Amino acid sequence: MQQIAYRKKNITYNNLAGYLFILPWLAGFFFYTILPMLMSLYYSLTQYNILSPAIWVGLKNYINIFTNDPRFWKSLQVTFKYVIFAVPLRLIFALFLAILLAQKRLFVNVYRGLFYIPSLIGGSVAVAVMWKQLFGVEGALNSILISLGILDKGFGWLTHPKTALWTLILLAVWQFGSPMLIFLAGLKQIPISLYESASIDGANWWQSFIKITIPMLTPVIFFNLIMQIIHNFMMFTQAYIITGGGPFDETLLYILYIYKRGFTYYQMGYACALAWILLTIVGVITFIVFRTSHYWVYYEAKE
Amino acid sequence: MKKVLLAISIIILLIILISPGQEVITLRISWWGSQTRHDQTLKVIELFEKKYPNIKLKPEYTGWSGYYDKMAAQAAGGNLPDIMQKDIKFLNQYIQNDLLLPLDQFVKNKLIDLSNVDKASISAGVIGGKLYAINIGNNAYGVFYDPQMFTKARVPYPKPSWTWEDYMDTARKLHKALGIYADTTICNAGDYAGFEHYLRQHGYKLFDDSGKKLGYDEDWPFVEFYSMDVQLTKEGVFAPPEVRLESRTVENDLLVVKKAAMAHYWSNQIVAMMNAAKRPIKIALYPNSKKQVRKGTYLKPSMFWSITKNCKNPEAAAKFIDFFINDIEANKIMMGERGVPVSSKVRNALKPLLTPAQKEMFDFIDLASRNSSPIDPPYPPAFQQILDLLKDLQYKMLYGILTPEQAAKEFRTKANEILAAQK
Repeated sequence: MQQIAYRKKNITYNNLAGYLFILPWLAGFFFYTILPMLMSLYYSLTQYNILSPAIWVGLKNYINIFTNDPRFWKSLQVTFKYVIFAVPLRLIFALFLAILLAQKRLFVNVYRGLFYIPSLIGGSVAVAVMWKQLFGVEGALNSILISLGILDKGFGWLTHPKTALWTLILLAVWQFGSPMLIFLAGLKQIPISLYESASIDGANWWQSFIKITIPMLTPVIFFNLIMQIIHNFMMFTQAYIITGGGPFDETLLYILYIYKRGFTYYQMGYACALAWILLTIVGVITFIVFRTSHYWVYYEAKE
Repeated sequence: MKKVLLAISIIILLIILISPGQEVITLRISWWGSQTRHDQTLKVIELFEKKYPNIKLKPEYTGWSGYYDKMAAQAAGGNLPDIMQKDIKFLNQYIQNDLLLPLDQFVKNKLIDLSNVDKASISAGVIGGKLYAINIGNNAYGVFYDPQMFTKARVPYPKPSWTWEDYMDTARKLHKALGIYADTTICNAGDYAGFEHYLRQHGYKLFDDSGKKLGYDEDWPFVEFYSMDVQLTKEGVFAPPEVRLESRTVENDLLVVKKAAMAHYWSNQIVAMMNAAKRPIKIALYPNSKKQVRKGTYLKPSMFWSITKNCKNPEAAAKFIDFFINDIEANKIMMGERGVPVSSKVRNALKPLLTPAQKEMFDFIDLASRNSSPIDPPYPPAFQQILDLLKDLQYKMLYGILTPEQAAKEFRTKANEILAAQK
């Protein structure tokens, strides 16, 4: 009896210590994540220009967005196009490089470091500015194409409505570092014995790649896919600096549109409503991907 | 000896304790600008604090981008600075939200002395019959050009009376003789100053005084103005849209890098431009229309000082504004960096000290003030959306997606919708 009481006490103490340790994180999570989210939900139901108090308007913002805002549909279209191309391309490229870098070669560690650099500096303003220089009318790419005789004068890759979004997609693909690193870790987890027995059975490289590497890697692919979908839906910095949404909204990614509504037009309520719509969309897509996962993701631990 | 020292120190202590210690007032002041402006303004503040030892100013400064985001956040928190530098575009928003203090009483009791400032310079800060903002400097929109290139191409310099036909003619000749772009575009890319001037010349305004609709209701001014742009771009006289869209600062404008012979800017930007170009650049008046009913050019207050409703010591804040516009030593530090000073006394005192770029700016403002009509009321709060719309349509015309006629119609419909929807 006494022993049980003692144990109970001990457990509460243990829990208390645990809660104390995560208290800073909990406080941060509550005050800087949950609270602002709830506030934005409230503001999405108001008309709020930041300068004067918010006015309750009910669902008016949402109704306006869906019925009377062509730029909303345009930005959705742009964002979906961006995500649909950028995510798979980035993952394929990351996987390709991870496979190259997983091999035991001379200086492979140096290469790993070098290839990761673009992602380390990836979200930064500097890379965006560099991209602007590379693809500008007088940029490096045009200089090369002109000197090769392919173009006779500079082409505005970033400013032409047909190519602007593609240069942003290319930038996303180039910043493959973090999924590559995760792929690399995943590749190292695959037992070498599987490959050995496959080669004894006479499988070539392609066969063992399709039959061993990919299936064994599906949990990692799944994780990367989810992370990249979320990440790319929220892409902002690059578009903001490189194209600013132009030419005529051809690169108006969703977050950029939210920013414009909130901080350029001072329609914070409207911007909050837009943000909640995006949250719903990303939530639904993530849910669908999760639901499909048991058809194609292979977990060793199962069964 | 010791006793004497002790006595003296006690007396000093008593004096300090008894004397009605001057209470120090602290004011927060914020502005946007370049590094040059920050350095200069800090020096002016130092000078001011020397003159009024009981007032301390706490400066908060940033670049232009982000300034109004920051101010909006401070306004939301009820935490605006006491003195604020303001742009005319944002004036209405702040007044409608009751954030600024009317300054008429301080002008009446001479705390802010405007006796050397002409009416046209003051009137832009008057809204609804009350003075909310004191103009710090004047600007005017003009055509910047490189006189050496004009000479080389054997094209005469623009005269104040030149027309749009002269302008197009000049541009074509420059392009032909020099093989470079004559101009980036017919107006400053991404600004509606050009179109606004064209409307004004024909007796219209960009925005109706109510701010709830556009200030014109026929499509022909839009069609005429942007047809010139589309036409000359097609001929290669102007830079193609992809070149224009690459956001350019004054420092790397096509005129600066010698790829164009003309550009369109507000006059205070001549200083930055000549600094970057390192060769003489002159400013001409914006071209006139043959059917002109009034001068399109207007003097635009480059920026204002305002006192916010947050301010607990508006008298002290008023003293600073007065010092800023009237003190000659302070203005010698700034030399018109915020636009040509509004006080004639200050202008005269600065004249002998000007650099060539500053002299060009002062002379141009002189010329413009004689060739201008009064400024229209400040822009409605939704102006930024209208600007984005206009920019989009301009590029759609240049890429051949819309004709000027279609764009004109779309602009009028959509802009009026946006303006009507504002609260």
